[in-house]
Amino acid sequence: MPSVLAYHRPGSLDEASTLLAGSNRRALAGGTLVVPASRRAVDVGVELVDLQALGLDAVEARGEHLALGAMTRLGDLATDERVPALLADLCRRELPSALRNQATIGGTVGAAESDSVLLAGLLVHRADVERHGAPAASLAEALAGAGDRGIVTTVTVEVAGRGTIAATGRTPADVPIVAAVARELSGTVTVALTGVADTPVLVDPGDPTAGLTPTSDFRGSADYRLHLASVLTERAVQEVTR
Amino acid sequence: MTIGIELVLNGTPTTIECEVHDTLLSVLRRRGLVSVRYGSDTGETGASAVLVDGRLVNTDCMLAAQADGHEVMTVEALNQPDLHPIQAAFVATGAMQSGYSTPAMILGTWALLRHDPDPSEATVRDMLSGILDRETAYVKPVEAIRRAAALLRGDQVDPFGPVALPPMTDGTNPVDVDPADPRPDASAAVPRLVPSRDVPDMAVVGKPEVKVDAVRLVKGNQAFTDDFEERGQLVGKVLRSPHAHARIVDIDDSRALALPGVHAVLHYKNVPRIKYASGGQSWPNPHPHDQVSFDTKVRHVGDRVAAVAAETAEIAEEALRLIDVTYEVLPAVFDELEAMEPGAPVIHDEEDTEHIHDRERNIVHHIGAERGNVEAGFAQADRVFEQTFRVHQVQQVPIENHISVAWLDPDERMVVRTATQVPFHARRMLAPLIGREIKDVRIIKPRIGGGFGAKQEMLIEDIAAHLAQATRRPVKVELDRSEEFMSSRTRHPQTLTYKTGVTADGTLVAQELRIVGNTGPYGTHAYTVQTVSGLRGLTSYNCPNKRFDCDVVYTNIPVPGAYRGYGAPQAEFALEAHMEDIAHELGMDPIEFKRKNWVVVGSELDIAPHLGERAVEEDELDEYPRVTSSGIEECVAQGKRAIEWHRRLDPQWVSPPDRPHIRRGMGFAFCMHGTAIPFLDMGGCSIKINDDGSFNMLIGATDLGTGADTVIGQIAAEVLGVDLDDIKVYSSDTDVTPFDTGAYASSTTYISGTAAKLAAEKVRERIKERAAKMLGVTEPCSIELRDKRAWAPDGRSVSLEELALEAFHLEDHEQIMGTASYVSPECPAPFAAQFAEIEVDVDTGQVTVVKLVMAVDCGVAINPVTASGQVEGGMIQALGYAHCEEYAFDDDGRMVNDRLGPYKIYRADEMPETEVYLVQTMEDSGPFGAKAVAEIPKDGVAPAIRNAILQATGARIDDLPFTPQRVHGALREVR
Repeated sequence: MPSVLAYHRPGSLDEASTLLAGSNRRALAGGTLVVPASRRAVDVGVELVDLQALGLDAVEARGEHLALGAMTRLGDLATDERVPALLADLCRRELPSALRNQATIGGTVGAAESDSVLLAGLLVHRADVERHGAPAASLAEALAGAGDRGIVTTVTVEVAGRGTIAATGRTPADVPIVAAVARELSGTVTVALTGVADTPVLVDPGDPTAGLTPTSDFRGSADYRLHLASVLTERAVQEVTR
Repeated sequence: MTIGIELVLNGTPTTIECEVHDTLLSVLRRRGLVSVRYGSDTGETGASAVLVDGRLVNTDCMLAAQADGHEVMTVEALNQPDLHPIQAAFVATGAMQSGYSTPAMILGTWALLRHDPDPSEATVRDMLSGILDRETAYVKPVEAIRRAAALLRGDQVDPFGPVALPPMTDGTNPVDVDPADPRPDASAAVPRLVPSRDVPDMAVVGKPEVKVDAVRLVKGNQAFTDDFEERGQLVGKVLRSPHAHARIVDIDDSRALALPGVHAVLHYKNVPRIKYASGGQSWPNPHPHDQVSFDTKVRHVGDRVAAVAAETAEIAEEALRLIDVTYEVLPAVFDELEAMEPGAPVIHDEEDTEHIHDRERNIVHHIGAERGNVEAGFAQADRVFEQTFRVHQVQQVPIENHISVAWLDPDERMVVRTATQVPFHARRMLAPLIGREIKDVRIIKPRIGGGFGAKQEMLIEDIAAHLAQATRRPVKVELDRSEEFMSSRTRHPQTLTYKTGVTADGTLVAQELRIVGNTGPYGTHAYTVQTVSGLRGLTSYNCPNKRFDCDVVYTNIPVPGAYRGYGAPQAEFALEAHMEDIAHELGMDPIEFKRKNWVVVGSELDIAPHLGERAVEEDELDEYPRVTSSGIEECVAQGKRAIEWHRRLDPQWVSPPDRPHIRRGMGFAFCMHGTAIPFLDMGGCSIKINDDGSFNMLIGATDLGTGADTVIGQIAAEVLGVDLDDIKVYSSDTDVTPFDTGAYASSTTYISGTAAKLAAEKVRERIKERAAKMLGVTEPCSIELRDKRAWAPDGRSVSLEELALEAFHLEDHEQIMGTASYVSPECPAPFAAQFAEIEVDVDTGQVTVVKLVMAVDCGVAINPVTASGQVEGGMIQALGYAHCEEYAFDDDGRMVNDRLGPYKIYRADEMPETEVYLVQTMEDSGPFGAKAVAEIPKDGVAPAIRNAILQATGARIDDLPFTPQRVHGALREVR
């Protein structure tokens, strides 16, 4: 059974929503994850709904916030001077060059990968996720699975503050085993961690491992990940408050 | 579902019909744009990258439909008769080895320089970060891009080539390196060449000639197996085992055969059971012959179960899902020590596999060798040290996966175009499996997108040929990245124990190496890799009493085989770590202790003849081989200066006050390798003259990106007094080119290069005789060939063109040609000093490798640019072994990181600094003084980093790799 049964490129959000409401439909953003996954032989094929023609690739200032269109490529965000420095840096760290030119901010939110440093950065920048036909939710809620209906249209972030990342990986550009991303604003520090839960999570900078039960894998046991969480949080907080 | 898309393709509005599931990669390749290459399905290699709307993107994880309405550019858009300046810069700097992903790099450069005409090195490296290269370590590509930028800005750039350095030693004795002596100042890509007084200046040899295949590679022209397509070609796919160990009780292929578009389904029921060993080695292949094309048992996750040929990849994959297999799942064992225990599952319980040493204990081989009396030696020692090491499983990771296309030619002979390092072995091994004689099989080796030993194997050629025979249609079998990890070949894991006796003054008196090697479920290279471990592990240091004791064990892990270094990296890691620790225990400087014992010119290589495929007993030997040339002291001196070795003694440097969690260290490893297998490796060459005084050279040698065709061409050009461009090199095709054992054992320059030299000398003699006659000279030996002319002593000359025209058309008609072959009685050792500078984060265990310096004595580097490229790429592959690469499994033996990323290889934006020194010695047995260079870079990085961690932190880590959690655990033990 050919796994991709049809390709749609709707011109409006309403049309896209209607298409996605059918059975076995999947939204296609940059495609770096969805295309390989959809091309594997399966019992039931999928119809892909490409969001590229919806005009969702704009970046615009909204007061103290920046609205990132869901289809904005990470490669563009990495070089956009309006994007907070921490987030631009994390867009670069998230993926190597060519994949970065394909992957989108909306797709990154949708994939909700545990070790995404960009998602950690969006968490500390208090990102909200706007969906078509649904009320906005915080990114933390979105990652927890709440309100996961409707096409992601925009990710808004607070612009102010300064941030840093402390990370441990096998090599300098490795996807970190654990990373602590911190942001300081008016004396308040926010920290998010990767690699310690099913998705990146906001933690208490004073007690970063509280309630965490990481999964062990070949790169790091649960205990080692908790150890890194403590060390890296302390470093990131120190760096951002210096 | 068929759809139509419209795009602007290389500047031309184009309408394309394709299937809705087609990737942009497959659509572009079908249109003949073969510069866009397959490496994976997820964008992880970057080989498939093109520009879409001016941005570098991967086409393997992008549907063609997504490109509808966009502009797509491939490297073909840049192709004109003259090279584009970016292409020219890649050619001039030797920036490609296999060149598989070079078109993607060139496109990325083109896009980058349009926006940023003067990019920083960091920006260049960031652009390259998405294009993985397993060969160049990105050193020369970065240089190429910076030079291309300068050229496009209109700046002048100097020709690229080595920088010559004065020697620091007399060639024999050590010197103290003055910390004030400045390091040579040159770009990292520039080879530092330390010439030897013994080496005469030559016209072509020793020069940085550009690769003979450079134009084809930078233009993305047809080069690799998949770039040539036969009419009516089917797609072959392989059903692979989900179990680590299981009996196949039954296979029902009826549903698969009923699927429209399926042409054949092959498995144990319809393919003859013929035993073989898949390792690409000389006849007779070492036992046991423990494989068949399709077996009734599977022995690792990813093992072959069945194969399908179908009209399309999608149909073939669907057919695999429709094959019903009934398995009886058996207990599995993965650890080499557990596999020998009583009660462990017996992996080869079939009756028709012979020559298994101890079937019940899964011991496939027992290997032993001894010199002197080891027990007496230990009794005589003042101190005895024993230490056990465990080394892990890693992979070669060529960016081009294994691929073979098989078809019946018009005479109904079987032809296989295949990515192989061993075309002649593959022909000999394939023929019986498909019921043919060798004369009815032809193997064609086009360019290869990296091999590193993975392709020293008859891995999938039999599947393609069986399918072609069954369907009478051409069939392509290409592994995907996951299959490449699970079902191709890997490095042998081992448990190694050294026991060494020394006297109080630090002289070795006895040394024993015990290895348990893990060969997975099949023997392939098990015997020979482990013997090389013994050979390399017991040869570097003089010692009167030595013993090697080894068991090689079957397990259910993916199959180990040949991997660049071939048993040496395992043994030299353990040896150089063990020797380092003994030095510390004795209170001696590690380099002084090693120097006191390492082999020098004249030292006997006493264990070597007793190990390997041509092992002999002591009474069969007249005398032991000896070290014939060694530049190790110059290597040590150059390396110490380059890494600024003195800094390691500065406490402020070791513990930088502003970074309290960082400790710095430096490490050293002494490296010794071999050059070819004596009395075994053989290469042939034939050379003929053409009307214009140029030459065609046919060689069986197998250039897998190393530059072998170029280097061998340089050797012939030097003999014949012509430019490299006048030697047209073709390799290799079993119907056309002479025999060669293939590209392995660091043999090609030395063996095939000598064959080329001998063939060229025969041609030269004929040319001299004819020239003497044409010039009226009585002594042909007085004629000299240079500048494409034959010169009489009195200054008169005749051009080779005039001479060739006379030979073909006017007088004493003949085809001037020469054929020669060579096998060596010797195995001259290249030597090297490997240095590493590292930082350890003592709170997390993260190790960062800051700099690697390798100073290599490879004799005379025939081409210093390609030779230094070998060292750069080899060192970084070795760094992966030491630092970040590992196979990880779940409890059932399924690899959990069968993707690049989770399986981590270094990318361009995270590289340590590297420097390469080529220390010349004159090796009289080699062509124009050459020894090997391809494998020695794999030997020293792991121990140098290990010893640097020890120096920085006091932690002795005897297991690989040095991943953060392992190092963190070791640091806690020290504290």
